[in-house]
Amino acid sequence: MYTSLIQALGIINCTIVKRHGNNNFELLYGTNDWAYALLPHARDDTHFTIDDHSPYLQDFLIDAEHFWQIGNDGQIQSGIWSEKTASSLLRLEAIAAVTKGECFLVINNLEQQYARQQKTLQSARELLITNDKMLAEQEYLQERLETILRQADNLTALQAPLNKVIEHAEFGIIIADADMQIVQQNPRALALFELSEQQAPPSPLSITMRLFNEQCPSVERILSTHSEWRGELFWHMSEYVNKWLDLSLQAVVDAQGALVNWIFILNDVTRLKYLQQRNEQLGMYDIVTDLPNRHLLLQNTESAVSDQHPFYFLYLDIKWFKRVNDRYGHAVGDTLLIELVERIQPLLGDENLLARMGGDEFAILLHDTTSAKECDAFCQRLIQTVEQPFYTPDKQQLRVGLNIGVAHYPSDATDCEQLVRFADMAVYSAKRQLDSHAAFYSKSLKDITMKRIAMEEALRKAIKAREFELFLQPIIDMRSGGIVKAEALIRWRDKSNKLISPDEFIPIAELCGLIIPIGHWVIEQAGNMLKLLHSYNDQLTLSVNLSPKQLNDEHLLDAFTATINKTGIDASKVELEITEGVLIDNFERVERHIRQLRKLGIRISIDDFGTGYSSLRYLQRLSVDTVKIDRSFVHDLSDNENDKAIVLAVIAIAKSLGLEVIAEGVETKAQRHFLMDNACFIAQGYLFGRPVPVDDFCQLLSCE
Amino acid sequence: MIQKKICLLGASAVGKTSLIKQYIEGVFSDKYLTTLGVKVDKKQVQLGPREIQLMVWDIEGIDRYCGFQPKYLRGASAFIIVVDHTRSQSLQEGMEIFQLAQETTNIPAVLVINKTDLPEQWHWTEHEVETRSHMFADCFRTSAKTGEQVDAMFQAVARLCMAD
Repeated sequence: MYTSLIQALGIINCTIVKRHGNNNFELLYGTNDWAYALLPHARDDTHFTIDDHSPYLQDFLIDAEHFWQIGNDGQIQSGIWSEKTASSLLRLEAIAAVTKGECFLVINNLEQQYARQQKTLQSARELLITNDKMLAEQEYLQERLETILRQADNLTALQAPLNKVIEHAEFGIIIADADMQIVQQNPRALALFELSEQQAPPSPLSITMRLFNEQCPSVERILSTHSEWRGELFWHMSEYVNKWLDLSLQAVVDAQGALVNWIFILNDVTRLKYLQQRNEQLGMYDIVTDLPNRHLLLQNTESAVSDQHPFYFLYLDIKWFKRVNDRYGHAVGDTLLIELVERIQPLLGDENLLARMGGDEFAILLHDTTSAKECDAFCQRLIQTVEQPFYTPDKQQLRVGLNIGVAHYPSDATDCEQLVRFADMAVYSAKRQLDSHAAFYSKSLKDITMKRIAMEEALRKAIKAREFELFLQPIIDMRSGGIVKAEALIRWRDKSNKLISPDEFIPIAELCGLIIPIGHWVIEQAGNMLKLLHSYNDQLTLSVNLSPKQLNDEHLLDAFTATINKTGIDASKVELEITEGVLIDNFERVERHIRQLRKLGIRISIDDFGTGYSSLRYLQRLSVDTVKIDRSFVHDLSDNENDKAIVLAVIAIAKSLGLEVIAEGVETKAQRHFLMDNACFIAQGYLFGRPVPVDDFCQLLSCE
Repeated sequence: MIQKKICLLGASAVGKTSLIKQYIEGVFSDKYLTTLGVKVDKKQVQLGPREIQLMVWDIEGIDRYCGFQPKYLRGASAFIIVVDHTRSQSLQEGMEIFQLAQETTNIPAVLVINKTDLPEQWHWTEHEVETRSHMFADCFRTSAKTGEQVDAMFQAVARLCMAD
């Protein structure tokens, strides 16, 4: 009966055994050789036992027995295993089933399914491994090259082993100078483009740049802002030669922030693409997140444009993702991206499309949103979702943020390329914010972005041309009227001799990282100046402002040590002014840096005290020497009772903690009297002197 | 005869199946063929005067397509974490699998750095391996291709099983 039913159902290549009791079975169906090879006792006896002939099956029977004894209808599976018999290799899966109180063991022979599944998995795994290997090799080489190029004056300084690695690398490497002229290229770069060294142009670089210009809408912005880029380019040489190339582009800047080199790393990923295509439809999908990739997104965008229905294009950039990758490795980074996608997906309706553009960049085609207000609300939901903490396998908390650039079809652009470019420009603008931010493309945003890009470029040149100056503002002991300190304040005098206010360029320098080389210059200059000032007054202290980014700079201590050693100045006559804001982010790291600086003898002062996140705990833990009362409180001292109270409170806190207190922005005699009456004797402000060039300051000192 | 179960774990394509094939049959194939599920092989091992039967469980590589299944370690006397000498990522993945296995069992584990016949990759530092190998009962550098250290490794694992 069973046999005819089973055959009628088309379930042929299986063995069905009925369980009568503990290790007591009856063969119901399956008289193939393989069944007897697996269950040898079934050949001779109606009721038989299953021995340890197959260790895997025997192990599964432990779970099966437990399941049968519970007796609820249902089934459990063993998972696939391979069993070698005298004549063949079997691919099997066992099922323990209970139906209407009766217990069965079904063993399926999965030979065909195994072969199919193995073929698919084989492609997928080859793909995964090739990709991982390529990434690891590229990252290593890129990091080493970048470090060495940044330090080297010329390429002869490239270490011999690294040179060997470049020559023999399995991927193309092109190093170009700041003007995009080839400095070095390896044989693989030539081979990728079917070129030889003797051949006339085009060069691998010129072909790459042509493809990059043609296929990447953001090329202009990437090159002008010295940004990193990674993505795929398609090279069509002839009817028979087509290649998919994975390009990784990296700018190398020197200690002054000036562009030194471009590193191009090129990989032929045509085989990967082929494997992807073989492996179902992975060709258009990202391997890590299973999302549509850049090419599929662009196809969809083209198609949406041709449909002429309005939609928003959202360019998403994961903030601080690089930090996660650098600190915890790519496996954790990938897991974070997968979880992030799982969080975002439920926010999207069926109509909208989320895609991974590459690296930490994603994009959304938002079709079901009709107004900018709705779109903004959607962006805020995305930001909130992404900002929720993530956890590593060992339960460490990770946080990332989200920048979004939005462009609208057809209001902002009527073709796909321009739409993507405008969204990219908007996200670039959003990136300039310290926190997560959504920016909508507009004409004014474009103008501001272009202006900012121009300002960055001008700043880079200014650093190279040393167009900065340090002005000094006196800090007075009001009891004697004598200068006890000076605060160094940076000024930028451009080529036309126009002075540019620090309020204008410091925030940009801070955002694009140029504050680091500027800061190093300030430290060096301040050291030289203090040496000069001590020839007039050897008790004078010079204070220097430090921005949040500088305090996070791992080379800050080296810069101070080098300056102190070079100039021979007394470190206790250097005071660093930090704002309260820096204490909130990365308190541990800031504390460590401050502790190291204090070990050198340098003094620490809290600038603009009272305006930020004033905390006595921070003051105590950091062993601060001085607090500076912010000018905004001093300004309204005569008629604002609240400000009076704040100033008195700050003075009281400082006294109780044994700290020096300095009042900033003192401009009137009334302010001076109030401060002196309340035992605050050190002050700076226009009443005593404006910031002046160092020579003028020396004049002031010589008059004392 | 005493039977002892040992499991080979690791990321995909690190050479688990090849190590077993070399150990059991003394053959090697350059062609990578991914394993699905589990395959159990048996080998009799002489340990001094005693003979034991090793049941060697070759478990599908753990990656995005196949997760770690703690049930496979049931009844095992030792397990082997195999990593690929040419792929630094496989060491990291191997360590993650090792941690997962340790949450299930406290049987001894051996770290096997396979494919030593292939050129050493420059992104793999000795220090990284050294630090991690201290967490294992033993560490071997093997080549399933040349057979280098393969017998010695399984012999050591058998001894660990008996010391249990």
